[in-house]
Amino acid sequence: MTPFELLEPVSIKEALGLLDPDDPSIRPVGGGTALMLMMKAGVFRPTRLISLRRVGGRLSGIKAGRDGGLTIGAMTPLAALEHSADVARVAPVITRAMRRLSNVRVRNVATVGGAIAHGDPHMDLPPVLIALGASVTVISPTGERTIKVEDVLTGYYETALEKNELIAELTIPAQGARRSAYIKFTAGSFEDWPALGVAVSLEADGDTVRSATVVASAATAKAVRLTGAEGALKGARIDDKTLARAGDAGAQEAEVISDVRGSAPYKRELIRVHVGRAVRQALAQNGATH
Amino acid sequence: MATITGAQGGAKIGSQIGRSLPRLEARDKVSGRAEYTHNLRLPGMLYGKIFRSTIAHGRIKSIDTSAAKKIPGVFRVVTAEDIRTVIPHPYYGPAFHDQPILAIDKVRFVGEPVAVVLASDPHVAEQAVQEIVAEYEELPAIYDEIEAMTSKVFVHDELKPAGAFADLKHLTGRKNTNIALDFKLRRGDVEKGFAESAHVFEHTFHTQKVLHLAFEPFVSIADAKPSAVTIYTSSQGPSFVRVEIARLLGLPENRVRIRVPYVGGGYGSKLYIKLEALVTALSLLSRRPVKISLTMEEQFYQITKHPCTFRIKSGLDKDGRIIARKCEVYWNGGAYADVGPRVTQKSGFTASGPYDIEHVHVDSYALYTNVTPSGALRGFGIPQLVWSYESHTDMIARALKIDPVAFRKKNILRKGQKHATGTPVNDAPLEAILDRIAARLNWGKPFERGNGAVKRGRGLAIAIKAVIAPTTSVAILNVTADGSPILYCGTVDMGQGSDTAMAQIVGEVLNVPAESVRVVPRDTDITPYDMGTLGSRSLFHMGHAVRMAAEEARAKIAALAREVGEPEGSNVPVAELFKKKYGMQAGNIVGSGTYKPDYIAPQPGTGLTTNVAPFWMVAGAGAEIEVDTETGKVSVTRLINVVDCGRPINPKIVETQISGAALMQFGFTMFEKMHIDGGQVTNASLADYKIPGILDVPAVMENETIDSIQTNGPFGAKGVGETATFCVAPAIANAIDDAVGVRLTELPLNAEAVYRAIRAQQNKPLEDE
Repeated sequence: MTPFELLEPVSIKEALGLLDPDDPSIRPVGGGTALMLMMKAGVFRPTRLISLRRVGGRLSGIKAGRDGGLTIGAMTPLAALEHSADVARVAPVITRAMRRLSNVRVRNVATVGGAIAHGDPHMDLPPVLIALGASVTVISPTGERTIKVEDVLTGYYETALEKNELIAELTIPAQGARRSAYIKFTAGSFEDWPALGVAVSLEADGDTVRSATVVASAATAKAVRLTGAEGALKGARIDDKTLARAGDAGAQEAEVISDVRGSAPYKRELIRVHVGRAVRQALAQNGATH
Repeated sequence: MATITGAQGGAKIGSQIGRSLPRLEARDKVSGRAEYTHNLRLPGMLYGKIFRSTIAHGRIKSIDTSAAKKIPGVFRVVTAEDIRTVIPHPYYGPAFHDQPILAIDKVRFVGEPVAVVLASDPHVAEQAVQEIVAEYEELPAIYDEIEAMTSKVFVHDELKPAGAFADLKHLTGRKNTNIALDFKLRRGDVEKGFAESAHVFEHTFHTQKVLHLAFEPFVSIADAKPSAVTIYTSSQGPSFVRVEIARLLGLPENRVRIRVPYVGGGYGSKLYIKLEALVTALSLLSRRPVKISLTMEEQFYQITKHPCTFRIKSGLDKDGRIIARKCEVYWNGGAYADVGPRVTQKSGFTASGPYDIEHVHVDSYALYTNVTPSGALRGFGIPQLVWSYESHTDMIARALKIDPVAFRKKNILRKGQKHATGTPVNDAPLEAILDRIAARLNWGKPFERGNGAVKRGRGLAIAIKAVIAPTTSVAILNVTADGSPILYCGTVDMGQGSDTAMAQIVGEVLNVPAESVRVVPRDTDITPYDMGTLGSRSLFHMGHAVRMAAEEARAKIAALAREVGEPEGSNVPVAELFKKKYGMQAGNIVGSGTYKPDYIAPQPGTGLTTNVAPFWMVAGAGAEIEVDTETGKVSVTRLINVVDCGRPINPKIVETQISGAALMQFGFTMFEKMHIDGGQVTNASLADYKIPGILDVPAVMENETIDSIQTNGPFGAKGVGETATFCVAPAIANAIDDAVGVRLTELPLNAEAVYRAIRAQQNKPLEDE
């Protein structure tokens, strides 16, 4: 790694003031677990990193809302999500996903905001958050705005965030009777980045789906909703035929990419199989409380 | 020299052999006290960072270092031109003197060192490396070993054998070729055998490029002066490093000192010269100590395992006896030979497998290509060969509808029979191992086949290796005046527990606890010659040398007792004997031992010899697996390893060597692969190249040593560091075939490969990219 300047502002205002939208070598950093890999590989050589770890305030903590939702500070480490009783109650799919999200060393340091802002399609949290209908509040020197997580991610390592914006917090709405599941498929080592992630969140009357959100990640350039699969599930009775239809729709619509974890045709087959498997896992969950 | 006396195979043993003693250094390691080269800093030391080639093959037109030199804190930027001012002929290598310390005129693989920045701050050096600009005239490149056989692209203009090996001399000066060695073994008449065969089978197998990835990456420090040099290095072979550095500098061996503290894993990667020649040249140029520590990512450009293509053809009589076998093995050696020609020859001896075959024909080729060099990796080529011949064995058995165990038993080499080389197979309990694997698998009994999308299967494999020969080990044992023994031996403890095993041998001979023996860190000024810590040779060769040194010391202690008037068999402590002799606590008793086994060089042209190696290494593996037929994902639910290591000196360490070796090969079998695109490694980091983690370990692992004695081994023992790597891959591939009826002929056996094979078998092949 080459030398760089590390600044640690203590307020959002100070942090925003240190950003320079015109200089790509100046970047905010959360836990740094992803950025450090890029820096070690020489892909990214910053002149200045603005660490958000001392900012505090809205950027830290997990708050359960009276409406049954959650507000999570962007600098909350993933391990805090993993061990939060509120998260386990509102969105147990997150608690389950954490067990296989990288490793305990990374989870202790990596942050919720970083997982979204990095724009890496292999991350486990974004597809889960999209399935849960989550959104983020971002702050810039001129104000703040709220964006759905699915709209934050615009492409391969690309986001809708402006260069002078920081994610302040994440909001997960109340899940009501919705049940969710996330499947991470690794083609090699158990600890590898996924070849495919599939997140499903659905509401069902008995074995009939009222509505479903289906998200694919890792095999695609960004975590993306599979609306064809969602359509195939909506109003349908869950049986092998429905799941096959949903899997086929997902496989057809997803724009999959080839990489060292698998070819595009193979990943398409993985989607075909895992949409159905994820739906079955979601249905097997006993409501929103686990 | 190998006339063996003293404690042998069946000899009675005392209290130290067979003890599961915890490693002597374990406490220092887990408490952070153990010394590693990585932690060492010398006063005034500079750090070097390497500027590497970004192209696979090309002529160097220019190297612009001007911007790098301007970075504040840069001490110097060095290219090959500078190296030549201190080392006029800067080429090294164990088999060929083909590798330049820094690229000269040409680069031959992506990642080849081209220049070095020196600075007191390693981060400054790294920053300056980014400012170096090299211009190349790109040349066509070759990556594939089969293409290298006939390509008009030549990696080297001329072959330059090192001269140390007689069987390479004929290659001197050869031009227009990428073949660095062509080993031949000829037994009987293979074509006649095929003509007489009722069935002939021919298959081709491939293995991929993988690497060692020791958790301590390569690191070396040199403190060089014109008249003498000291090198601190993470090396498996300090004696070889001394010889080679002395040759490069034109110094006698006693002016070159190689110091090796504990090594954080080697697996064959840290043999011969790696960074040592480079840091030596840099230290001579800068007149300062120089350290280079590679990053984890840079390890992908240092040394790897050989990818291999193996064409194997077998002829069988009507009863299922193999009567003829032809093996053509192509080893992808990368841009520099390293020890590739040795891998090519030594593994070539046993390419036809652990079977009794009348007609055998082996051609084994070492090939130059434009990728990271290949060398030894925990098995010296044997895992690649076993992968092929044991997959082939099952394919034949299935085709002939013979049970795979029965088929192996019909053809297996039994005690006293001659192996393909002509050397009798003794102390190689192949059949006993096969029987144990079969028994553990409940072979022949019903097996749960799975249901739904998940299918289950089981498979097995057996293997043989001839240990590398002939090699020499020397040991010195010093009994101090209070009776505490100090052992000087050059075997490098890189995690395999050799210091503990050697201390146990000393303890056994002197009848003292192994814990009381001090094993000094490797230092060529102090520890005597050893050929290298490689090929599972140390316990046998150095074990004998240590045993002999201890026996000599024991004899001298007995003589001292007689001299001071103690009766025969007296139990007076050694310290008292010294006191009686010298009148105070003074003096030493020094014993030494040198061991080189008998060996008869194979005949040129036929490769035949009646004594190819002092011992055989034999192993078997069994696997039970589940295949998710909808994704191709294979789960190994049970992995059984049965090996022969003679009498285990330390059973607990033996078990960790078996499980460690099996798991390393498990990664190479299931998913590890260096992806190379146009010569570029596209996954050169631990973020993208995964090795097995604890969650990848098969749910059930069973490790067993067969009850046996290596007749000519020290206390009946022999090496076991590599043995459990041999059979893992074919056992799993055979189990996949058993589960879903598809045959994979290329490693790794990853989910996509299995899925594609299943689709192809269903006549619904999955489209390519």
